Amino acid sequence: MSEKRERPARAVKLNVINEPKDSYTGGKSSLCPGCGHDQISNVIINAAWENGIKPHKIAKMSGIGCSSKTPAYYLGQSHGFNTVHGRMPSVTTGAYAVNKDLLYIGVSGDGDSASIGIGQLIHAIRRNMDMVYVLENNGVYGLTKGQYSATADIGSKKKKGPINKTQPIDLCALAINLGCTFVARSFSGSKKQLNALLKAAMSHKGFALIDVISPCVTFNNNDESMKSYGYVKENEVTLHMTDYIPHFNPITEVEVPEGHFRDITLHDGSTIRLETISDEHDPSNAVAALTALHEAETDAKHVTGLLYFDNTKASLIEDLGLVDTALIDIPDSELRPGKDMLDKINAAFLS
Amino acid sequence: MENIANDFTINIATANGTGSQSANLILLQSLFEMGVPVSGKNLFPSNISGLPTWYIIRLSDHGYQAPGNRTDVQVLVNPATWEEDLAALEPGTVVVWNENSKLEMNRDDIVSYPIPMNQIARKINPKLAKLITNIVYVGALAEILGIEQAALESAVKKQFKGKASAIELNITALEMGRSYFRENLSKQDPYIVEERAIKTPQFFVEGNEAIALGALFGGAQLLAWYPITPSSSLAEGMIEWIPQIRTNDDGESTCAVIQAEDELAAAGMVLGSGWAGGRGMTATSGPGISLMQEFIGLAYFAEIPSVFWDVCRVGPSTGLPTRTQQSDITMLYEGSHGDTQHIVLFPGTVEECFEFGWRAFDYTERFQTPVFGMSDLDLGMNRWACSGFDYPTENMDRGKVVRDRDVFEAFEEFGRYLDVDGDGIPYRTLPGSGMAPILYRGTGHNPMGVYSEKPHDYLQLMTRLRNKIDSARDQLPAPILREEKECEIGIIYLGSMENTIQEIDDILEATGIKVSQCRLRALPAHSEIENFIDRHEKTIVLEINRDGQLYGILRKEIPIHLVPKLLSVAYSDGMPPRGKIYADLILKTLKEGQL
Repeated sequence: MSEKRERPARAVKLNVINEPKDSYTGGKSSLCPGCGHDQISNVIINAAWENGIKPHKIAKMSGIGCSSKTPAYYLGQSHGFNTVHGRMPSVTTGAYAVNKDLLYIGVSGDGDSASIGIGQLIHAIRRNMDMVYVLENNGVYGLTKGQYSATADIGSKKKKGPINKTQPIDLCALAINLGCTFVARSFSGSKKQLNALLKAAMSHKGFALIDVISPCVTFNNNDESMKSYGYVKENEVTLHMTDYIPHFNPITEVEVPEGHFRDITLHDGSTIRLETISDEHDPSNAVAALTALHEAETDAKHVTGLLYFDNTKASLIEDLGLVDTALIDIPDSELRPGKDMLDKINAAFLS
Repeated sequence: MENIANDFTINIATANGTGSQSANLILLQSLFEMGVPVSGKNLFPSNISGLPTWYIIRLSDHGYQAPGNRTDVQVLVNPATWEEDLAALEPGTVVVWNENSKLEMNRDDIVSYPIPMNQIARKINPKLAKLITNIVYVGALAEILGIEQAALESAVKKQFKGKASAIELNITALEMGRSYFRENLSKQDPYIVEERAIKTPQFFVEGNEAIALGALFGGAQLLAWYPITPSSSLAEGMIEWIPQIRTNDDGESTCAVIQAEDELAAAGMVLGSGWAGGRGMTATSGPGISLMQEFIGLAYFAEIPSVFWDVCRVGPSTGLPTRTQQSDITMLYEGSHGDTQHIVLFPGTVEECFEFGWRAFDYTERFQTPVFGMSDLDLGMNRWACSGFDYPTENMDRGKVVRDRDVFEAFEEFGRYLDVDGDGIPYRTLPGSGMAPILYRGTGHNPMGVYSEKPHDYLQLMTRLRNKIDSARDQLPAPILREEKECEIGIIYLGSMENTIQEIDDILEATGIKVSQCRLRALPAHSEIENFIDRHEKTIVLEINRDGQLYGILRKEIPIHLVPKLLSVAYSDGMPPRGKIYADLILKTLKEGQL
């Protein structure tokens, strides 16, 4: 437990709650060497550590697929639930309803989220369920050996088989249209950007979707694939440089970048700083976000950064109208109404 | 002509969406207030307005609750079913019919009471005539049968709680119906209502509402549901009661309610809450359970507490959504792919609906496995007499949850699926506790909860799960036995058949057979079930479905030498069970069994 841990004699770098990064790591990955998902796992470890979140206060949730196996590879001190295909959002919602005090980090893939589980994703967004939803998007089904998924780009070709001709579903565009309160796209190869976005998502209250293009080195990393490392590196359009300033760091001490930037304050008091690269992107403007996505699609590019952000909407917990204490911490005696109450009910029925 | 008091069946044919439901409930309630043993069955269509609806009221001093074998008093209001309803009547039936319906009364072998219902209704209030028409026949019936005005007025007041204008309007309409009969017609039939002393005060309540209340007294913390007939009123009952009994002065509740996007999501939410250490439940019907199968398997395999209430309707497929059946016994007991076995509770009365409502949570947490409650449309959506709900006799059983670090530290070794006590039930810690965190999974796992495909781990796990569920048998509600000392014929039945069994028993005993009753209240079956079969010469397994689902389960589980003693009587036409049909089938089956 973090409370009992003594500071080690040898200088190991500790975070704001005196935890070494080791407290956030997990088991050894069994994914293919070089898999984008492993890079994302490392960023999740780093972001949680840097944000100083108690590891046991995180719940790691997933569905089924290569991406959904990854919770075994990070945050070994957190409970997790590797649920069923595409249904992680509902399980997370139920857990959240009875224990709102955990940080829920869901990991899903494009098969999980864009096909079988698209309905649950949509409704979790609609409820503004308070969670970080990391979509590890590679355009193919890995565990079943390389079928196209519903996010495969038109004209893209995986290692084996024909060119994909079916219209992809852009889950960021979908999320923006649904009023999702935090929508970002990133790339597993852009660690710095992903790290800032993940930390910001953890500080957000509401549904935070990060669609991370995460190349499948085995089935979809050839040059003709539009979700290969090579292609994404060449064709990534970055909206802005992304920086995260945690609430426990006084913002006045943070170096101010040259040129134009925009600071967005997050729910826990942290800040995400978006530094303008060329044209300024206004993440509060849904039309601008959708335009950026459509333009990128037309040019066969991938646009990354914080696409859309809205901190004005109530999250699910406010809609549920529950007591302040997490429901699982309420003693049994308060959950069961007293005998006098049942006597009153019986009497009222009889009258 | 000799009077027939409190022993006849009234059938009222109307169209839905016309206010007939409240008129019928007023009639039922007024009889109830006179102390007459009475039951009401609403046969409604899967439709909002305009389709045929029948309401069947049985008065029976024997306490028989099933619809009678024939209609004795028919009320005809609905032109759409006029001819069919009329043709089905036996000679001598009393027919109270709407003279303004422009349809012919072509039977002269019945007792005919024409009432100009629309005309009377228009006189009272032309704008509301359509709704008042129904209350006019209640007034006429009251006069014909001798229902007390005080009981009627009290029933009206109950139906329209505090709405003075509605109460006044209905009382006027009742009186108009009464006086029309008094002034224009004369009684020519034997049926009368006689007041009976009320020994124990009782009230009417629907099974669904009883489960809703029971669940809230069971400490439910999450209701995740998707609307489906005939279970919606269970969820809505909880929604209605939460502000009154589970909410503090600031309007904050201790039970979350989420209307899910579908039944899959509802099941997922229930599992999520159970995983996190809460008491979550859903209410659905057969089609919903079909959709939840995948999660049910996950809950069984990963050992997640979760409560599922299935208010059965007629299957398969969309089936007859507003008719009743014990349709899902097998699906609940053996739900999901692979080898599974689940705890299923079968309440047979509204009192038990309440009791199993709270007990289901204790069982699901004690055994760390999904628990199903199976009710049906008949029990769930019709009103049943209730003497009052009993307060839970035991404290909440939260099962083997380690919340305390001291307790946790005392374990030599902690594994999520380690069988420490040898009862097949492992210990668990909760997310957020920091104790023994694991990644729960629906894939194979070893006692430490780590992924495993090793044959030994799989076998050990499946054997333990089987033993765990098997150990529940005698901890679940025991069967209710009403035995004859002769031990001739036994009948094993369950659930809402409770309301018909005594009538069946009486019909059978009238033929000289001695009949013992055994109401199974849970699966896996209590060991008493086997003893009951053993004691009796022959045992009928009686159920409201086609295939004899419970028979199939028992046949598989009882010792092989008892199997020849077991006979199946299964029948379902969608209607609430009628005693004579089942009694005749039992007699036929016994006869065939002797050959």
